[in-house]
Amino acid sequence: MELTVLLLLLAVLLAIGVPVAFALGAASVATFLLLDIPVVVAFQRMAASMNVFTLMAIPFFVFAGDLMARTGIAERLVRVAEGAFGRARGGLGQVDVGASMMFGAVSGSAVASVSAMGSTLMPMMKEKGYDADYAVNVTITAAILGILIPPSHNMIIYAAASPVSVSVGDLFLAGIVPGLLAGAALMFVAWRVAIRRGYPGGTFPGWRSFTKSLIAAFPGLMTALIIVFGILLGVFTPTESSAVAVIYTIVIGVLVYRSLGYIAFVEAASSAVRTTAMVMLIIGTAGMFGWLFALLHGPEMLSGGLTAVSQDPAVIMLMILLVLLVLGAFMDMAPLIIITTPIFLPVAVATGVDPVHFGIIMMLSLGIGLVTPPVGSVLFVGCAVGQAKPEQVVRTIWPFYLALMIVLLLVAYLPSLSLWLPEQFN
Amino acid sequence: MSVLSRFLSRMSLWFSAFGLVMMTAIIGWQVVARYLLANAPAWAEQAALFLMLWFILFAAAAGVREGFHIRLSILQDSLAEGRRQLMAIACHAIVGAFGIAMAYGGAQLVVETWEHTIPTLGLPRGLSYVPLAVAGVIIAFFAGEHILAERKGSKVEPLWS
Amino acid sequence: ASRDARLLRAVDTHPDGYPTVEAVKHMGELLAQRSGGRLAIEHYAGGVLGQERDALEITIFGGIDLNRVNLAPLNPIVPETVVPGLPFLFSSTQHMRSAMDGEPGRRILDALEPHGLIGLCFYDSGGRSFYTTERLIEEPEDLAGLKIRVQSSDLFVEMVSALGGNPTPMDFGEVYQGLMQGTVDGAENNWPSYESTRHFEVAPYYSETRHVMAPEILTMSAISWDRLSEDDRALIRQCAQDSVPYMRGLWDAKVEQSRAAVVASGVRVANPEISAFQQRVQPVWDRFVATPDMRALVADIQALDPAL
Ligand code: NA
Ligand code: NA
Repeated sequence: MELTVLLLLLAVLLAIGVPVAFALGAASVATFLLLDIPVVVAFQRMAASMNVFTLMAIPFFVFAGDLMARTGIAERLVRVAEGAFGRARGGLGQVDVGASMMFGAVSGSAVASVSAMGSTLMPMMKEKGYDADYAVNVTITAAILGILIPPSHNMIIYAAASPVSVSVGDLFLAGIVPGLLAGAALMFVAWRVAIRRGYPGGTFPGWRSFTKSLIAAFPGLMTALIIVFGILLGVFTPTESSAVAVIYTIVIGVLVYRSLGYIAFVEAASSAVRTTAMVMLIIGTAGMFGWLFALLHGPEMLSGGLTAVSQDPAVIMLMILLVLLVLGAFMDMAPLIIITTPIFLPVAVATGVDPVHFGIIMMLSLGIGLVTPPVGSVLFVGCAVGQAKPEQVVRTIWPFYLALMIVLLLVAYLPSLSLWLPEQFN
Repeated sequence: MSVLSRFLSRMSLWFSAFGLVMMTAIIGWQVVARYLLANAPAWAEQAALFLMLWFILFAAAAGVREGFHIRLSILQDSLAEGRRQLMAIACHAIVGAFGIAMAYGGAQLVVETWEHTIPTLGLPRGLSYVPLAVAGVIIAFFAGEHILAERKGSKVEPLWS
Repeated sequence: ASRDARLLRAVDTHPDGYPTVEAVKHMGELLAQRSGGRLAIEHYAGGVLGQERDALEITIFGGIDLNRVNLAPLNPIVPETVVPGLPFLFSSTQHMRSAMDGEPGRRILDALEPHGLIGLCFYDSGGRSFYTTERLIEEPEDLAGLKIRVQSSDLFVEMVSALGGNPTPMDFGEVYQGLMQGTVDGAENNWPSYESTRHFEVAPYYSETRHVMAPEILTMSAISWDRLSEDDRALIRQCAQDSVPYMRGLWDAKVEQSRAAVVASGVRVANPEISAFQQRVQPVWDRFVATPDMRALVADIQALDPAL
């Protein structure tokens, strides 16, 4: 009963136009009152959900991205991308996917990826005549790739939540092929949609000019290299790397490009603060909501009906995928991994699914949840960075959803896509 | 009221931006100190986390005035002006009510956890919940300003874009 | 006091099947049996209702009835809970168990009450030991220059410093990657966590220092407690006590199984002589045993040492 009230209330508040963060918060607080649980608990949940060390990557990568946009680093990067993908129609869409894959190989945080890629590439795409909704569609769906391509802290959460033993090393290896496959699918869709919308293909500027743009962009490109090698060599953690990116950008903005003045700095800081506050407030009130959802047995009710329907492994897998996608629509990824892994993994293992394979299925299906409404942190960051309305973005995102769904089905029903690579190493 | 509102919004923004810069410096120092000094500063992680709540909540509160919190506006946009106005007032009222609940819940958190200490910082845990209470009040104030403006048939002009 | 059937909400950050979770479920069965179905426990495992410190605050506010936590998140709230976490305080599992089952344990449980919590019983958490990516720790000198990940806790920071290592506070979620990429050279935990976090894959040198043997604790919200009759309170205390031997049986089996599993995967194990370690942590004791109550507690626990 209370669960129905919570969900209905959320739906009504969202529909009448209450901001997402406040709709989640108000629906939750009302349900806390209904359940006679002290309201102070709701706000403890809110504060605790926002006060997570790894979430610090969000403000830092947003800040770094804003600084890059204001110091001309992003502009120089895109000139290189234009040279490389100059002739392809909608080439910037593919640059976006490719860059997100590289960035994902560094950070593993989809929200950080959409912040960094979004704040550098989206303005460029708009300048070239790409629509805001297209820019957001490409960037947010590509941001999911970082969850599949190692390193990925979500895989570590999965291994920890798993009731059976799962090797993180195997999970990391298992994510690579599905990650590349999903990247290829998104590049294809980005290209088809760009053709349909008639986005421009440029002309190749010539090798001389391309080399020149490469040299000009070199200090900016170094940001990625510093992050990659800094993490791989263990100089800093992924979260720390986001702060290092900010500091490095400030240093080259002031010393190398000499384009970062006091005003630009303050503008970048206030812009970053605004985007971060919007996202983190949603994360906070989604924390209240998720707590109630778990308390009222939302996840168990969904999975309970599951095994009652069929015993066929293929059907059970399909139902698990559906449930994960539905849950992903309403909750954030990390808590869902923790809640659903112990529920679904034993069911899946009983039908013959490998736990490593199942982990990759979880990453992709819950990753898709990050870009689906009503609760989708990556979707909302993308909209905020791209200054697009979520309803407008969701209206045109279907080809991208479709591509991800097809990849999800392939990954789910072809275990070797995930398991082949780890088997080569064992 | 409008002077106070603009002052509050501007102060929240400055305060938040300053908090973000401080956070960057602290985490940067954590990395550098690990190599320069034998020991990494134990307080850095907790200090940055402590700052994060402050800066997020103040900026989020200002966001109520500036109207940058993301929302679905299809239904409101499809209504006639009179009905849209009513619905907009209802939305602002819900935001305001949430702000009041947040101020109340936040204040209670501050009181109940004041005796607990934050490890490595030695500050009262309650201090990290203070922004919840303060931002709650600011949110309620800004929501009220929006309601008054809607009733006059005007809009609150955003300060920062 | 209410005569209605009452469902107590219990939380744990450990997953289903973990000894502490199963023990509280067992306690629920005892409770339902002995109260004729009037009292029961609904268990939320796996941290779905919040991580330890957060769930602890929610328990104090009355949003959760029963909460199994480590002593560490209680340290900033109840000073007495620092004592069982002092490095090298217990000489053996037996010593820890007799201290916690006896008078010192009862005093710690009682110390929770002024802070909105009722202490019900202690569960085992084994001994925390160091593990590293590159070498076994046979003596304190082997820790020199190693970056050891610690929890955000002054006690652990001071302890690792005192032993000669470089304490590196790091978020739990970043440790696996940190070990793999060398941001830290080692960490410390008990056998079951060493296995379940998969840290043994990247840090295969485990040295059984068992430097901290702090038990875990089952707490109840004082707000929920106050709503119960005297009889029901006594029943809950008794059922909690009766779940302890059950938990220890599961725990000992779990430690053996985890240890065997990681050893089978090629982990190397050392059993260092701990007296050299013990001497070095004396300043940590001096700093953290701050009140006369705590000093008395330490003395009473030491007096129970079977090795003395
Ligand atoms: Na990644
Ligand atoms: Na979603």
